[in-house]
Amino acid sequence: MNPTEPSEASSPIIVMTTRDDHRIAWLAALAIVIHVAEAAIPSPMPGVKPGLANVITVAVFIEFGWRTAAWVSLLRVLVGSLVIGSFLTPGFALSLTGAAVSVAVLGLIRLWPGPSLSPLGVCMLSSLSHMAGQFSAAYLLFIPHPGMLTLLPVLMTLAAVFGLVSGVITSLLLASLHGRVANSE
Amino acid sequence: MTASAIPYRSIAGALRPTPGDIAVALLTVVLLVGLYLHFWSGVGGEGERARIVSADNGVQIVPLNEDRTLTLHGPLGDSVIEIHDGRIRFIESPCQGKQCIHAGWLHSAGSFAACLPNRISITVLGRNRHFDSINY
Repeated sequence: MNPTEPSEASSPIIVMTTRDDHRIAWLAALAIVIHVAEAAIPSPMPGVKPGLANVITVAVFIEFGWRTAAWVSLLRVLVGSLVIGSFLTPGFALSLTGAAVSVAVLGLIRLWPGPSLSPLGVCMLSSLSHMAGQFSAAYLLFIPHPGMLTLLPVLMTLAAVFGLVSGVITSLLLASLHGRVANSE
Repeated sequence: MTASAIPYRSIAGALRPTPGDIAVALLTVVLLVGLYLHFWSGVGGEGERARIVSADNGVQIVPLNEDRTLTLHGPLGDSVIEIHDGRIRFIESPCQGKQCIHAGWLHSAGSFAACLPNRISITVLGRNRHFDSINY
């Protein structure tokens, strides 16, 4: 097509994409694959899963900043749900709330003036905030029963464990990307 | 924030926590302990209760964590209420329709059963009196 003839009626709309857009798309695709693969793992309780896609979000946050991480995270939830077939189901609402709260907390971490965090700390906070957001949505929107609150400590403990696991993976991933692990040199 | 400032030479080096990480870990432990204390210590303690209103015996609030049987006197005779496993129900009533008995076990906050002829009602009390669940 010839971009010098924009007045032609049949000419398609040309969307200009930036380098950033491409990067977000690639990283989101990576996160979506993990998200979908993880959906195949049986879960003992709704809302409990390893959250390995979080590795991508946190790595992207550390490498490319909050804005890219927010795009990658929200695109993952949206496209992941379309692929799995859970778009607009209660599970999707929980996922979306968890991701949104988690992304908001990443924003707060960026603004935090105190001692810096390694991927371990970032993953931990991101995992706990994801669970907190998801649980709040589940409690307020779907099952507002006091019995639900009994589950909260257990869910948060699992979130901490999985946060630590994904923190270790993220640390090793970033260190190896930067060639700073001895056996990768 | 960026990992690039720290020279990693080994896996252990890559996983060395920063002071910020240690603060996060401590806060996490405090949060989890707090959650367990707050949401688990109350089990069986203040738990859920039920309010029994009777025209002849007045209002009484009973805990649902102690199994017991109550006999309340009404205009028609004695109604028997059973509390078991955190639930409550009418098991005997002198009325005709026995709607109160057919209401069965009540356990979620806001659940209600009444024997109008014998002027006795039971309401389960709890922190949250909304609907107990929504199904899709």
